[in-house]
Amino acid sequence: MAREKIMEVRDLSISFKTTTGILNAIRGVDMDLYRGETVAIVGESGSGKSVTAKAMMGILASNSIVNSGTVKFTYNDNGGESKTVDILKMSKNEIRRDINGKHIAMVFQDPMTSLDPTMTIGKQITESMIWHYKTPKAEAEAKALELLELVGITDPEKRMKNYPHQLSGGMRQRVVIAIAMACDPDLLICDEPTTALDVTIQARILELIKDIQVKKNISVIYITHDLGVVAKVADYVDVMYAGKLVEKGTVDEIFYEPRHPYTWGLLSAMPDLDTRDDRLYTIPGSPPTLKNEIKGDAFAPRNKYALNIDTRIDPPMFKISDTHYAATWLLDDRAPTHDMPPEIKGRIERMLKEENK
Amino acid sequence: MKKYIAERLGTALVTILVIIFVLFAMMQLMPGSPFNDEKLSRELIEKLNEKYGLNQPIYVQFFKYVKNIAKFDFGISYVINKNISINLMLKTRVPTSMRIGLQAVSVGAVIGLLLGIIAALKHNTFWDNLTTVISVLGVSVPSYVFALLMLYFFAYRLGWFPLLYTKTEPFRSSLLPTFALSMFTIASIARFTRTEMLEVLDSDYMLLVESKGISGPALIFRHALRNALIPIVTVLGPLVVGLMTGSLVVEKIFSIPGMGALMTAAIQANDYNVTIAMTYIYSVMYIIIMLVVDLLYGVIDPRIRLAKEDSGE
Amino acid sequence: MNKYQIASDNFDMDSIEFLPNDFEFIGNKPEEHIDSNFASQDYWKDVFIRFKKNKGAVIGFILLVFITIMAIIGPMVSGYTFDQQKIEFQDFAPRVPGLEKIGIFDGSETMRSPGGGASRVINKYKTTEGAADVYYWFGTDNLGRDIWTRTWMGTRISLIIAVSAVLIDMAIGMSYGLIAGYFGGWVDNIMQRVLEVVNSIPTLVIVTLLMLVFKPGLFTIILALMVSGWVGMSRIARAQMLKLKEQEFVLASRTFGAGSWHIIFSEVLPNIIGQIITNTMFSIPNAIFTEAFLSFVGLGIPAPQASLGSLISSGYNSFTTHPYQILPPLIVLALLMLCCNMVADGLRDALDPKMAQM
Repeated sequence: MAREKIMEVRDLSISFKTTTGILNAIRGVDMDLYRGETVAIVGESGSGKSVTAKAMMGILASNSIVNSGTVKFTYNDNGGESKTVDILKMSKNEIRRDINGKHIAMVFQDPMTSLDPTMTIGKQITESMIWHYKTPKAEAEAKALELLELVGITDPEKRMKNYPHQLSGGMRQRVVIAIAMACDPDLLICDEPTTALDVTIQARILELIKDIQVKKNISVIYITHDLGVVAKVADYVDVMYAGKLVEKGTVDEIFYEPRHPYTWGLLSAMPDLDTRDDRLYTIPGSPPTLKNEIKGDAFAPRNKYALNIDTRIDPPMFKISDTHYAATWLLDDRAPTHDMPPEIKGRIERMLKEENK
Repeated sequence: MKKYIAERLGTALVTILVIIFVLFAMMQLMPGSPFNDEKLSRELIEKLNEKYGLNQPIYVQFFKYVKNIAKFDFGISYVINKNISINLMLKTRVPTSMRIGLQAVSVGAVIGLLLGIIAALKHNTFWDNLTTVISVLGVSVPSYVFALLMLYFFAYRLGWFPLLYTKTEPFRSSLLPTFALSMFTIASIARFTRTEMLEVLDSDYMLLVESKGISGPALIFRHALRNALIPIVTVLGPLVVGLMTGSLVVEKIFSIPGMGALMTAAIQANDYNVTIAMTYIYSVMYIIIMLVVDLLYGVIDPRIRLAKEDSGE
Repeated sequence: MNKYQIASDNFDMDSIEFLPNDFEFIGNKPEEHIDSNFASQDYWKDVFIRFKKNKGAVIGFILLVFITIMAIIGPMVSGYTFDQQKIEFQDFAPRVPGLEKIGIFDGSETMRSPGGGASRVINKYKTTEGAADVYYWFGTDNLGRDIWTRTWMGTRISLIIAVSAVLIDMAIGMSYGLIAGYFGGWVDNIMQRVLEVVNSIPTLVIVTLLMLVFKPGLFTIILALMVSGWVGMSRIARAQMLKLKEQEFVLASRTFGAGSWHIIFSEVLPNIIGQIITNTMFSIPNAIFTEAFLSFVGLGIPAPQASLGSLISSGYNSFTTHPYQILPPLIVLALLMLCCNMVADGLRDALDPKMAQM
């Protein structure tokens, strides 16, 4: 079956006006997503991953400026005909009316703060159905009950009448997912959906999202800094650093054949039962503030493998395979021979052994 | 919720008792007796003391005092209107003051809310700055300054309104005092609504509501304003106080025959009985309003109403 | 041809002039790299810079300093005293040397009838004997006292009250809140109940009652502030204490055996001083207003002393005929309140940058 592309981001570049100056949050990002597949966008805080998601959703903050780019989204409109729109060219009202909730829904990071505290759970779930499709109240409520069951909430009738503060964090996140699924979207964007939750609940929420994805054949974008989450859920991974994509590939390519020093850093910072080293590796330093024009490769100052050219010229994307790309001068033929850090090597070998068992 | 109501009621009652006790102590501390007319003979004073129970032990007097004051029976005025019952004096004054107070609150709430909402929605624009200027002015300039300015320009120089309050034109002549009184309300509500709205608009749950595709009035009124208005209760206390103190001077300036004017007159004339009566009424009004506000808070905020109920998982 | 193709559309490898050492490792040792993004900057220096950016606050501060200086030297430079009466010079309009030549402040005033009817201009300096060379910069009141001198004397009283309010806030409110918050438990419980009762008696009532017992005057007003003015501050101090006392640095200090008083005043207080200062600034206009209000109602500073409130009160009696009598104290009072509020706003935003962006 041919893959059906539903999201195509090209050359996206977004800045924010702040009191201390212009902040270039995203500097030319390309991204693709196909129906039924899962992409994870990985990066440290401030890498621009959340801004990318908000741009797709049309909920950028009012002080944002879109410098360039297109965000093309393909969906089936009411008549069942396939329609492609550029979200960046739509007005806020059009996005709210045609896209948000209906075709793209979002799950936010902190379930403790992402539900309206003055409205019952039931009303919050039915609200978008009634708003978008004028669904009769009884019908909407019946569907809300179904959704609550789908997301694994026990005693849904009672929960419908509850207010958010009466539920635990894990339950609230289930409710947020139910709200997102209310209008059967084509794309679900999950912005760090498990970061604020207990470890035991994290796994269950991830499984839940995966189940729903299979059942409803929707696409999912995960935004996360947690490679553990990525390994569990993603088909494809986009690694972002300082507002740019530095490496993208299938989940296997990123985990077993990473090529960008930043990805190496991320991987070695991931806790692993077999790491014999007492200390967990951290990438030294912190991401650059995006207020100043960045010359060359933004990662160079933190990069052990930095080349002289990195300080002058930002590397282009090199194509490693049809699905695997990385932006580092190390992939240029002229680059000195180098090896990935031994820790990573050891870890990959261990992982491969595990796989083959 | 029941425990919450009981707690509030308890505090209110204790406070009223404390106030009565303080008032009674003041009466005892007050120099001279009510019968300090030089024409009265010693025997007559003793007789009067007996008649009014002033020779009884102090605790008996106290309980009697509590009983009377709880029934809002304040006795008579000694100076302002000799031997006239204070309740009679209050009969026409309370409605007048209440009416002007309510007018001021309504005007203040409507204008203040509108300004606050517009300022938050049009953040960092001309409207926002205008609201900030108005609210800083309104909070920092005493209401009698506004009263005097309005009186001078709109009544004296332009002649649009009567100079003083008249019973023949109770509405038109109450407009200037209403606006003078409402400035503080407008300012505090506008300022508060703006801050709260900005905070709510910036919250995660508003982002979620937007991501559901909700927009326009539903977004602003059903979600944003509802959440922003809950904590508005915190400004109501200062507001009530502002109105009370404001009414004292504004009623004096516009010669409104209300409670504030009576209290001012009583203070200036050293009419202890009237002053204490007014003090008591103001305290009780304040306590009742704060009580209602607290209970209301519980009703509109589900987090208080349904506190300590079960949560799953 | 490179082993790996270049996938970026707008990238032209040929246009780059490569240097011979381009493809050599820099030899970065990022572990030794010092983080410069979050280089420490002095907190108070930051606060000062943010405060300076707020024009309203700076103007308010300058005006406040100006008013304070005038309150000190104003009464000295006029050549009159605040209680010197001259019945024959009563109700003189303002007259300022120099300015009178261009037709303003020349001692003339317009007598009007209400509603904008007939009006006529009179100048008492010309019609009164011996007044030709007399200058009253703000005019005189109905007893022939110099309004300039009285206004600045009144400002002095208001400022004294402001300073007292600050001291009361600090001494009573802050300590009360810090102690209640730190000890918690039944101490806090009792202290909170007391506070609730004090708070539910309107200030107006407390002040009136005190005025009935004590003689009206500066002392009584300050006493009234002492009874009622500290509640807001103690709430803030308590809330901050509750927030901070669970934090690691307090815990660390306790583990090292620090006593309660040391923790309260040397560990926690320096961390909340910002909020305390801001709140103090907000309580100043309240105190000034309380005084002005009491004087206006007739419970303030007794004559012949003057406060801004009593000046407004006496000017009010004749303000339709001689508006210049009420304007100086009215303007100074309004400015004083406004400046305090603007400075307080500016301070709050400077101390808490999150609020400033809102």
